[in-house]
Amino acid sequence: MTASSLTSGGNSCLDEQIERLKRCEYLREGEVKALCLRAREILVDESNVQRVDAPVTICGDIHGQFYDLVELFKVGGECPDKNYLFLGDFVDRGYYSVETFLLLLALKVRYPDRITLIRGNHESRQITQVYGFYDECLRKYGSVNVWRYCTEIFDYLSLSAIIEDKIFTVHGGLSPSINTLDQIRVIDRKQEVPHDGAMCDLMWSDPEEIDGWGLSPRGAGYLFGGDIVSMFNERNDLDLIARAHQLVMEGHRSMFNDALVTVWSAPNYCYRCGNVAAILELDENLDRSFKIFDAAPQEARGVPIKNPPPDYFL
Amino acid sequence: MFRGDDVSARVAAANRLEAVATVLGEQRTREELLPFLTDGVDDEDEVLLALANSLGKMIPSVGGGSYAQSLLPPIELLLMVEENTVRDAATASASLIASALPDEIFQDKYASMLTRLARKEWFTARISSAGLIANAYPRLTQTQQEEHLKLFAELCQDDTPMVRRVAAQNLGIMVENVVQVAGRCSLEEGGVVTTILIPLYETLSSNEQPDSVRLQTTENCVVFGRVMGNLTLIQRLLPLIVATIDDRSWRVRWTAAAKFADVINAYNPIPGAMDALIPAYEKLLQDPEAEVRTAATFNLAKVAQGCESMILPMTAVGAEGDDDVSAAANFTGERVAAAERLVKRVTLMTEDDSEHVRAALAMVATELAPILGRDATITHLVPPILLLLRDAASEVRLNLISSLESLNKVIGVDLLSQSLLPAILDLAQDGKWRIRLAIIQQTPLLAEQLGKDFFTDKLSSICVNWLGDDIATIRDAATRNIKELTALFGTDWACDHLLPSIDEIRQNSSYLRRLTAVQACGRMAVEMDPAIAQTEVLPLILEMATDTVANIRFNVAQALGEMGTICDPNVYDQQIHPVLMLLHDDPDRDVRFFADKTSLRLEEAFAQKR
Repeated sequence: MTASSLTSGGNSCLDEQIERLKRCEYLREGEVKALCLRAREILVDESNVQRVDAPVTICGDIHGQFYDLVELFKVGGECPDKNYLFLGDFVDRGYYSVETFLLLLALKVRYPDRITLIRGNHESRQITQVYGFYDECLRKYGSVNVWRYCTEIFDYLSLSAIIEDKIFTVHGGLSPSINTLDQIRVIDRKQEVPHDGAMCDLMWSDPEEIDGWGLSPRGAGYLFGGDIVSMFNERNDLDLIARAHQLVMEGHRSMFNDALVTVWSAPNYCYRCGNVAAILELDENLDRSFKIFDAAPQEARGVPIKNPPPDYFL
Repeated sequence: MFRGDDVSARVAAANRLEAVATVLGEQRTREELLPFLTDGVDDEDEVLLALANSLGKMIPSVGGGSYAQSLLPPIELLLMVEENTVRDAATASASLIASALPDEIFQDKYASMLTRLARKEWFTARISSAGLIANAYPRLTQTQQEEHLKLFAELCQDDTPMVRRVAAQNLGIMVENVVQVAGRCSLEEGGVVTTILIPLYETLSSNEQPDSVRLQTTENCVVFGRVMGNLTLIQRLLPLIVATIDDRSWRVRWTAAAKFADVINAYNPIPGAMDALIPAYEKLLQDPEAEVRTAATFNLAKVAQGCESMILPMTAVGAEGDDDVSAAANFTGERVAAAERLVKRVTLMTEDDSEHVRAALAMVATELAPILGRDATITHLVPPILLLLRDAASEVRLNLISSLESLNKVIGVDLLSQSLLPAILDLAQDGKWRIRLAIIQQTPLLAEQLGKDFFTDKLSSICVNWLGDDIATIRDAATRNIKELTALFGTDWACDHLLPSIDEIRQNSSYLRRLTAVQACGRMAVEMDPAIAQTEVLPLILEMATDTVANIRFNVAQALGEMGTICDPNVYDQQIHPVLMLLHDDPDRDVRFFADKTSLRLEEAFAQKR
């Protein structure tokens, strides 16, 4: 009884935080710390191949494009009314990595069964120091504490998910060191993304029209061909691999006779690529339908709130 | 800190001056801190900006208004620096300090500071002076006023255009202050306004001035028009304002276009002024630049209103229906002429090349209807409106449909309904979902205007179709629309025309559709007759409590919370409560959460009813 009253009290506070985040206001440092602590308790129990029930909507990279995430929810429906599975790369490159990741994380804590977040190659200490999330935290909070809390949570994010035992979802792709889902299940994922090995490949690899495996021009992960995909799907009794990680101008792209699909959910990527975005809606019968959307129009984007510079001088 | 090497530390220090002053006390602030600061006005712009801002807030720290002159020396230095953001901040602070000063100090220290600045060799000081001198005018002694007016006149004719620009910006303030101090005699032949200020205005609006100076012409023209009333002198100014219409700079023309309603209002008491101004306005509507045309178009209705009050001041335009019509018949020919001229312009503008101009036109055109009256609206305004309804751009059609209300009040939309229908149906299926959303949001209003029969016949099916839209926001808006329509047309209508289709959607194989059905039921039920809602809608919701998808089940819980309060207590006990108990034991935690929340809400509501 105490536990349930505690969570319900926490829920109303969380609901208020979610409202604020939806207005693109970021949380106070103390609130982020508390949120991350609660998120950790939930994420630590998730499997490396997290089970997800249909119906669910699959979303690809977001990359800190907060207003386009809001647009995504407008097109797909609000959480918790709809169930969501995000395939990683929440942060970096866009202007609002902090708000984007915290909104998704707060929704995760509030509705753990309605939204699933898995890790992308940008959910990493090293990458975020180069591509913007680190600088954004420093600029918005005046210290790197929030970046530290968030990157600790990154280590707890699941590596992949499986929907109704039929659709395998992962940020990047397959790995030569992995033949079965059970091999993913035994990885110790609570660490920084390594430079090589199975965990790294899952987040970095790309499909390519080749036979077998190839070297990746990204310098991490591998290229994998249609034969690899059909072998993997057969061995694990899968219908489809859904992944993100690569910009596709039309928002989604099927490969290898529909054995694999790329979903990309950052419209007008980096505010300049001119691409549309897509989400993949799976209904309870696993029927697929893609929803295409454009970047949020200028009127729907608030003016960035200018916070006074933090008082770290004295 | 203030002398430290780190710029950001010096900025922080400058921002915290108030705190430092509080610690030092009033006397030491005046005698030590401020002289120290005055010495330090040779720093990075960021530091100076922080300093300029802080000084304006320090009046209490130095001991209030009677000591505030101690703040003037550092401010004076800041008013001379090169960076304009610093000067702007210093100007704002200087005004604050000035208003706190008692009259005698104001006339002594502050006025002499302005004089010094106006005579400085470096133009930045003169810019600051030009920005402050007009506002200071009323509080000076008479001799000082004469002197300052002369200074101001010099600044208006300064060699540096930047100074003239700021002086031009302040000319209107100066005019108002002079008239306020000297009274209306200043407006007469030989008065200050006539001999000094009008020539200044003529100089500042002349063609040799750069754009940035001429840009102020319209604004100043409005002020002159306002203070001078119907004096014949104003005739001197009219050609100047008309000249801005042909200005070579589009920015000047744009300003004129955007302010034209103010011009009309300021000049409408003057006989004959409209003869010059209306053609000028028409010229703006045909400007080569689309931005200018758009700005002018937005003023269309206001300009037309302005012309009207010229002929019939204080006529109640908003008078109801028939009165308005009969009044219209009595109006002079001249009035109709002005508005009708503009309507003819509307017809031509429906063919404008720019979508933005047409969109602006569609937004304001219907506002002409109350001015024209019923008959003239039908003859002159309806044809161009029909053209806009067939415009190629969806934005244009949407704007027109969104602004139908004023037209509806004058002629009723039944005249238009046959033409409206294709436009509405077209927008309802527009490829952009935001257009569809906008038309859905207009639907309740349109339903009211078009009437029950027409709406049922032609549009109720499209309202149901929206419930199956691909975009979640549209589906959500569609359920709200259903609720509004239920409220408007009543329970029976909703049961006949909406409920069967919703029941069908309820059995769709996709949870996305079923979800919309639950939400629609919950929302429409509260607008229905409770007895019928309980027998017709409630069972539909309750049946879905056993749906296989958790999202549907917790939306059932939410819908029950929404409509439960209108139900009878025994219906709650026998039908709603058992279902909530079932949901209370659901395997899904979110279902349990929302079921508990609804239980709590309904238990409370029924505890009060019993």
